[in-house]
Amino acid sequence: MSNKLGSGFVEFEQLVKDGAVELLNHIEVGDFSGAIQKIQELSEARHSSFYNEVGLLTRSLHDAIRDFQVDSIDLVVGEGGADTSKITDASDRLNYVIETTSAAANKTMDMVDSSVPVASELQTQARGLRKDWSRLIQRDLTPQEFRDLYKRIDLFLGYADESATTLHSNLNTILLEQGYQDLTGQVIARVNDLIRDVEVKLVHLVAVAGRVDSISGIEHKESEFEHDDTRGHGPAINKQSNPEVLGSQDEVDDLLSSLGF
Amino acid sequence: MGVEVALDKNMKILIVDDFSTMRRIIKNLLRDLGFTNTVEADDGTTALPILQGGTIDFLVTDWNMPGMTGIELLRAVRADEKLKTTPVLMVTAEAKRDQIIAAAQAGVNGYVVKPFTAVALKEKIEKIFERIDAAK
Repeated sequence: MSNKLGSGFVEFEQLVKDGAVELLNHIEVGDFSGAIQKIQELSEARHSSFYNEVGLLTRSLHDAIRDFQVDSIDLVVGEGGADTSKITDASDRLNYVIETTSAAANKTMDMVDSSVPVASELQTQARGLRKDWSRLIQRDLTPQEFRDLYKRIDLFLGYADESATTLHSNLNTILLEQGYQDLTGQVIARVNDLIRDVEVKLVHLVAVAGRVDSISGIEHKESEFEHDDTRGHGPAINKQSNPEVLGSQDEVDDLLSSLGF
Repeated sequence: MGVEVALDKNMKILIVDDFSTMRRIIKNLLRDLGFTNTVEADDGTTALPILQGGTIDFLVTDWNMPGMTGIELLRAVRADEKLKTTPVLMVTAEAKRDQIIAAAQAGVNGYVVKPFTAVALKEKIEKIFERIDAAK
């Protein structure tokens, strides 16, 4: 793994190789005090190389951490001030997405709720009139019923006009409410940029930390990734690429019927 | 349209979902199907006491919720002597094979994946009560 380490470490390796040869020479000629001195020198070289490397790593680590704070794409909004971290800000922005989409969904449903009775009333009145209208065509109405129908048609035309205006305006409101897609899309795109940026910095940080581990000889146990279905996973994004995720209601129905449902 | 089932339109339905928007969508769809007697809860923890009140005829629940999840709620319902026969329809974005199998094993009566259509919801509800009627 010496290729991952600094040039100081490579020099140190050469020093050990050379030193070992000299040490053997000293021993072979019976010069034990020379041999011990050689061992002393090697030990000192090991210390200084180790400390140099640690110094280098500390600096890289420091830089990697600082990059996180300074170089991340500037997402801080005006009122946030210097205290707001970019992650906190991104989280605020995602909350904004939740609020905006929720408001748009509710406004849309309000419009649907106010339109449905209008459409039902139009239908009821039209059906009633149609029945009497066909009786009129068949000359089946009494003069009194005819006068009554005359009035009802007038009222209905007024109501139809009003209803059309209401429905038109509700539909327009629904249309405008879809603007949330643009606003939230922009926010999500920026948060996405931040995540990518953080990922790059994290990879750097992990690489530096890996070097610390390799010269200090620390080994980490791989933490097991938890596959907990109970907590749920949320909507699957790449259904096609994951064979474990069913792509449609039909597939779910097929699976359930294969289980005896 | 298959067999017309005589559904009790007055049955009391509990809708459990952490998103108020989704609860509203389900409530409106149920209303369109003629079911107007609905109550709502935002996760399993708040749903369970309502169920234990003993007046709920049908449970419609999401899976992924904070606190107690839908699958945990389903298991709690099946483990409760008084509630265990309550029909449960899961309406969720969770679509992993293992999860659907887990829900089936836990005793779910129907499983609808989000996003869903009004037709899918209607079909599943009818199917659930068709089977319950057939089993009587």
